[in-house]
Amino acid sequence: MLDQFRRLGFRHVLLQVLNFASVLASGLAMWKGLGLLTNTESPIVVVLSGSMEPAFYRGDLLFLTNPPTSAYRTGDITVYNAPGGAIPIVHRVLETHDLVTKLTVDDVVVPQLLLTKGDNNQEDDIQLYNGLEYLERKHIVGKVNGFLPYVGYVTIAMNDFPQLKYALMGILGLMALIQRE
Amino acid sequence: MHSIYQRLNSVSALLSTCLLVLLGSIALTTYVHETHPSGTLEISSTKVKLGRMRYQRRMVETAHVKFNYNADLTSLFHWNTKQVFLYLTAEYTNAQGTQNEAVFWDRIVRRKEDANIHIAGGNKYFLKDLTRSFKNATSVTYSMKYNVMPWIGPLTWGEAGRTEALPLPPAQNTV
Repeated sequence: MLDQFRRLGFRHVLLQVLNFASVLASGLAMWKGLGLLTNTESPIVVVLSGSMEPAFYRGDLLFLTNPPTSAYRTGDITVYNAPGGAIPIVHRVLETHDLVTKLTVDDVVVPQLLLTKGDNNQEDDIQLYNGLEYLERKHIVGKVNGFLPYVGYVTIAMNDFPQLKYALMGILGLMALIQRE
Repeated sequence: MHSIYQRLNSVSALLSTCLLVLLGSIALTTYVHETHPSGTLEISSTKVKLGRMRYQRRMVETAHVKFNYNADLTSLFHWNTKQVFLYLTAEYTNAQGTQNEAVFWDRIVRRKEDANIHIAGGNKYFLKDLTRSFKNATSVTYSMKYNVMPWIGPLTWGEAGRTEALPLPPAQNTV
């Protein structure tokens, strides 16, 4: 291994490190750019619970948008961060209440109160709101618009078995350094 | 020239490109399928009851709605339909001017054979107002809406059945 490094030379190793860094940076830039376009902090999320079965299972990928000028409606599937909650939750909107405001600016959505429920749950989500009776717009991450099954299971597997994550990162890193092109 | 690694690499690249193109075209056909769901929604009775709900000390008015729904939703089931989520909403404006939309009944339809729907049903969820009262609220419009959930690709929403605005009766004390 060391011999191989020596043969490649210091400059080559530096170049590969640079390549690797630019791949990482462009990935991050694409993620943030997508977030900017869709106006949400995470445009793609992985389903972590079974509360929307049989439509969404653990490990399915969801694509979100959060248009700043349109309100949420009943039947929309939202991803929200409950106050004090650890993980984002994917549930359907059961009630919307569009409050009256004195402001009449076109670009601003009316303040809304939302109540959500998982399709696979018996009860609505008030228990999950940690004392709130309704969600507000600021808790909502986005609306689910697209669906891709299974793909997100990789990240769940990596969380459940950290060894897998380190092994994968190690192999990728080594290959990036050694590859000659 | 062609090492095993290179061969594996090009084969897997070809396979994943094919898979992506296939999945992408299946997702796109969602927009091509013609859907023409139709349904008739009738409200057979509405009652407003005044009482105490669980865990609540104050009195709350709840609306109890019975409805008949007949619909043919078979056209929503094409090859990229995993299930249809059907939900019944009530829309009204309360005394304070708040616009409300609330789901009080829903059903998951998973097979085309079950998409011819004839239901006489009632509330699955409580229908109550933010102010705890429907006094001086506008008449209520009921509509049956659906969400088509795909095997892959975009989710779509629509409506199949709507009533005109119907007034809520005054509250009856049930305590």
